Amino acid sequence: MASTSFWSSLKEEARRNYIAVFEQEWPTWLAGIFLAIVALLIFLWQGPWGVAAGYRNLGDWIVYGAGAGGDRPFSPWLHPITLTNTGLVVGALASAMLSRQFKIHRAPPLEYAKSLIGGVFMGAGAVLAAGCNVGGFYTAAAMFDMGGLAMMAGLIAGAWIGLRYLLWEMEHLQQKGVEQRPSSDVWVKIQPYLGGTVLILVIAAFYGFSWVDKTDLGGLLFFGLLIGLIMHRSRFCFVRAFRCPFMTGDAEMVKVVAMSLMIYGMGTAVIKWAWIQEPSMGVTHNFWIGSLFGGVIFGIGMLLAGGCASSTLWRIGEGQTKMVVTLLAFAITNSALASLLKNQDLYDKMGQGLFIPDKLTWYVTVPSFLLFFVFWAFVAIWNEKSEKFVVF
Amino acid sequence: MDLQSIEPYSILDARGLTCPMPLLKTKKTLKDVPTGEILEIWGTDPGSKNDIPHFGGKKGNAFLGFVDDDEGYTRYFIRKG
Repeated sequence: MASTSFWSSLKEEARRNYIAVFEQEWPTWLAGIFLAIVALLIFLWQGPWGVAAGYRNLGDWIVYGAGAGGDRPFSPWLHPITLTNTGLVVGALASAMLSRQFKIHRAPPLEYAKSLIGGVFMGAGAVLAAGCNVGGFYTAAAMFDMGGLAMMAGLIAGAWIGLRYLLWEMEHLQQKGVEQRPSSDVWVKIQPYLGGTVLILVIAAFYGFSWVDKTDLGGLLFFGLLIGLIMHRSRFCFVRAFRCPFMTGDAEMVKVVAMSLMIYGMGTAVIKWAWIQEPSMGVTHNFWIGSLFGGVIFGIGMLLAGGCASSTLWRIGEGQTKMVVTLLAFAITNSALASLLKNQDLYDKMGQGLFIPDKLTWYVTVPSFLLFFVFWAFVAIWNEKSEKFVVF
Repeated sequence: MDLQSIEPYSILDARGLTCPMPLLKTKKTLKDVPTGEILEIWGTDPGSKNDIPHFGGKKGNAFLGFVDDDEGYTRYFIRKG
């Protein structure tokens, strides 16, 4: 006879929930909703969510550490976006371990070379656009900065070019698969305990930051952890929204990103329209030259690397070694090119932020914003059936 | 269907490749598989467990399933429709 004590009932419920959260993959639409909510919380907590500035901080330290000059960079443990990015990697690591999926993945040599070149392209594109697929597109669009939409157009074009290269590569460059070492039984067994420990350590770090009157920074680390969990459990990848309509015609990620942006944008409209945050906050993107051409370059890079700024981080968390190459190439390129452009007084020529409600009023901007993303989703759905834009 | 006993028309080795290469190579290789024959794909990217079944069941093809091999990779089976 089954035990019906309080503790056995609690244990059974905990086991069921553990399977739902860490063994079954989350649907991407749910992740899209969660992501928009966490992005809005970050906006309320501190400011618009971005990723590339954390790469820049890492790159600045590498360049500075190599003795290439420059002032001492900002401390990483006090840098808001470095902390969010760290939380993202650690959250994905914890998630991968809790779901017994952490494993060191090796790739063929050509993939490492593409990761390097892809990272260089993304690092350069993120300088021109003043942000990556997150800060320059997802957040910029939700902040009602026209630069976000210009980068979106660039990302679509860049994804098309990148995909054409991958097709050429398949025809002309042969590469064999690489054998992977299977995980040992012991490793599979202990992973959830290690993952749980990692989660507890991040929560402890939050209290540590609070202890030294840096609750705002501790919160950003924690939000990053949530994003890492969400992205890893759903395998959330912005690249798919730009690549799949050309590759397989699949419209799923376009619908998810469009829906997520509609939620994020509506939340931002409430926060900005009500002056809870300054309306011009986050309107700093290089519309239109930098955003558009930066988007094209970034789009090519994310196809080559097989990951964008955010998915590079969560894939590192699950043990993809080639993404570490992307991270370093992105960071160093971003830091070096930003310094170069600023020294040559070229950065200001890339454009400037354009706050859409300033031109169209809130009354026109909000419905136009919604209709734009509904239209994007419907074009993708039509393309899924017609394969009009599928390149092979 | 016993997946272990399937004799595929061809095998695509995508071990070590990550998104989007396993799916891209699957789509390309499937074009050369005759109707009714089976393509077996070897992959190690965790994302393929979503992508390949989703793609393999479209356009008249049938996704037959996947098995995790003891050697640390996953074998996927698609019948060309």
